[in-house]
Amino acid sequence: MLELLGTALVNVAQVKYLVPLFLGTLAGVVGGALPGVTITMAIIVVLPFTFGLDPLQGLAAMTGVYVGGSAGGLVTAVLLGIPGTPSAIATTFDGHPMAKNGEPGRAMWLGIWASVFGGMIGGAFLIFSTGPLAKFALQFGPWEFFALFVFALSMVAGLVESSLAKGLLSGGLGLIVTVLGNDPVMGQKRLTLGIPMLEGGIDFLPVLIGVFAFAQIMSEVERMGGAAKFGDAVDRSLSLAVSHVKVIGEILSRPFLLLWSSFIGVVIGVLPAIGGSAANMIAYDQAKKMSGHPQKFGSGIPEGIIASESSNNANVGGSLVTIMAFGIPGDAVTAVMLGALTIHGIQSGPLFILQNAQLAYGIFAAYLIAHLLMVLIIGVAARYMLRVVTVPKAALFPVVLVLCVIGAYALNNTMQNVYILLAFGLLGYAMVKGGFPLAPFILGVVLGDQIEINLIRAIMTDANPWLFLTRPISGALMALSVASLAFAIWQHYRHRAKAASEVDADF
Amino acid sequence: MSRDGIAGLAVLAASLVLFALTLDLQASPMVPVGPGFYPRIVLALTALLSLGLVVSDVLSRKRIPKEQPKQKLNYPLVAMSFAVFALYAVALPWLGFRIATFLFVGGTNALLDPPRGARGWGRALILGLVTTVATWLVFERWLSVLLPRGRWTDF
Repeated sequence: MLELLGTALVNVAQVKYLVPLFLGTLAGVVGGALPGVTITMAIIVVLPFTFGLDPLQGLAAMTGVYVGGSAGGLVTAVLLGIPGTPSAIATTFDGHPMAKNGEPGRAMWLGIWASVFGGMIGGAFLIFSTGPLAKFALQFGPWEFFALFVFALSMVAGLVESSLAKGLLSGGLGLIVTVLGNDPVMGQKRLTLGIPMLEGGIDFLPVLIGVFAFAQIMSEVERMGGAAKFGDAVDRSLSLAVSHVKVIGEILSRPFLLLWSSFIGVVIGVLPAIGGSAANMIAYDQAKKMSGHPQKFGSGIPEGIIASESSNNANVGGSLVTIMAFGIPGDAVTAVMLGALTIHGIQSGPLFILQNAQLAYGIFAAYLIAHLLMVLIIGVAARYMLRVVTVPKAALFPVVLVLCVIGAYALNNTMQNVYILLAFGLLGYAMVKGGFPLAPFILGVVLGDQIEINLIRAIMTDANPWLFLTRPISGALMALSVASLAFAIWQHYRHRAKAASEVDADF
Repeated sequence: MSRDGIAGLAVLAASLVLFALTLDLQASPMVPVGPGFYPRIVLALTALLSLGLVVSDVLSRKRIPKEQPKQKLNYPLVAMSFAVFALYAVALPWLGFRIATFLFVGGTNALLDPPRGARGWGRALILGLVTTVATWLVFERWLSVLLPRGRWTDF
């Protein structure tokens, strides 16, 4: 394993791979730092650039975006008080006060090095657990895969912040998209609604790009016309230079905090579609609860920055495990990576690491090197990035939409995908306005065909439906699906009861 | 009825219509269950969930009158942005990538940040031109990704 990793590190260090990795990391850092631009949008923008590259070049660029984006949000969180991405929200709580107290360099470098250490812990989990988990998944038959995908979908639908009914319905809508057009088992036409372009089914990438890009851009457009806010910037004349030994010492002198926050990040990364936005908030909350001086949180203490930044980068490692071992995207970013694999004709899932060991270890190597590039980029460019983040959205959005069009069109050089992009852009925006979460919808679109294929394979092998419950792994996964829904219902009622009691107290 | 109820009704109607369409699908002799088997499960589930959403919306409105947060949002601008993008999507195969993109980027920039005077228009035109040339060079020339040619313009 370590020999393969060493070879992959040498391979990715070649200019051929290092250039796309560097550019991807740069795009991620800048995209992550831009308030209103998420890592998902950054990776959607980078996607069309990877079409002309070989698979490892493309995936290295995307891994760079993911790593860079997870750390890039801290720059504006610390220096402007505006989190560049949702995964840097908790960094703002202590990072910005520390910067305002005259220590912007310390705040920023605490965040950067915590991101590196968190990312490395996530990386260790990624490298050492992906293979064993994939081997475990090789024991799965169609019953187990069906149950696993149902579990992933039920968990995502249940854990989203809005109502359980909307989460489940959103997942159901995603599944409906996959039943339109053709049957994935026999290729028979079905439910084409008389629309010729539906006859081949609907590719999930234009759906994903349309839903996320338009939902985000139009949510920003509807707020346009008011006064622009560029946050509460720190004094730009202050130096960002620090003693790196001292900053690293500050982080390593809190080993339990670093390990626990990174562990939270990894676990949340493994769970589908929860993401870094939840990881940094939970890690911050945990750090506060376990601290001997919780009242100091929010005043600019290092613990808050370390917890938030180590967790959101560790989250990336966890998220990559889910897609590489099981073929289930942990979030929208890995869903785009899954699409990139499909474009290059590579099948994700448990066989991925066995059949494409060079590519898999190349991704591990790209992940590790991206952290070093991220340090270099933020270290050199942090001050200049404050200028970049004030780029007018009126200029940024049309350019992003053009790249979305290229990404959709270039999938198979037809306008059909551009029309799908627009149609699902409208649907995505409508879903956001209606309070429907997008994550279960996307997971439904990504997993729908696989759920159907495995269900039909299971029935073709043995028509006994009880096998889904009586086979140990399948039965356990089905029980977990029910448990995750029961947990979501319990949480919903507990939240409602709490809200009601708070209303009573007000009276 | 609130947005939830209306959304629930829309999904319920769509699920029922699609469910009815699955009844016409012919079974395949190769597979024990036909191509309509799985869609029926999915559509029945979404129909039930959407019905649940409608019922819950009606019941919750009886219990607690919800107060809508008041925030002024620029929906006309959103509608116009969608319309401009739709025009771009329609124009692409007729005008070709380069002309359509130039018009779209310049037009959308002018829509989102209306130009004041010649300098503002110049900014929109330059943004359109730079975006078009840069994307065309990077994708067509460097990455060999083919972009749409115009049927009217052959450009």
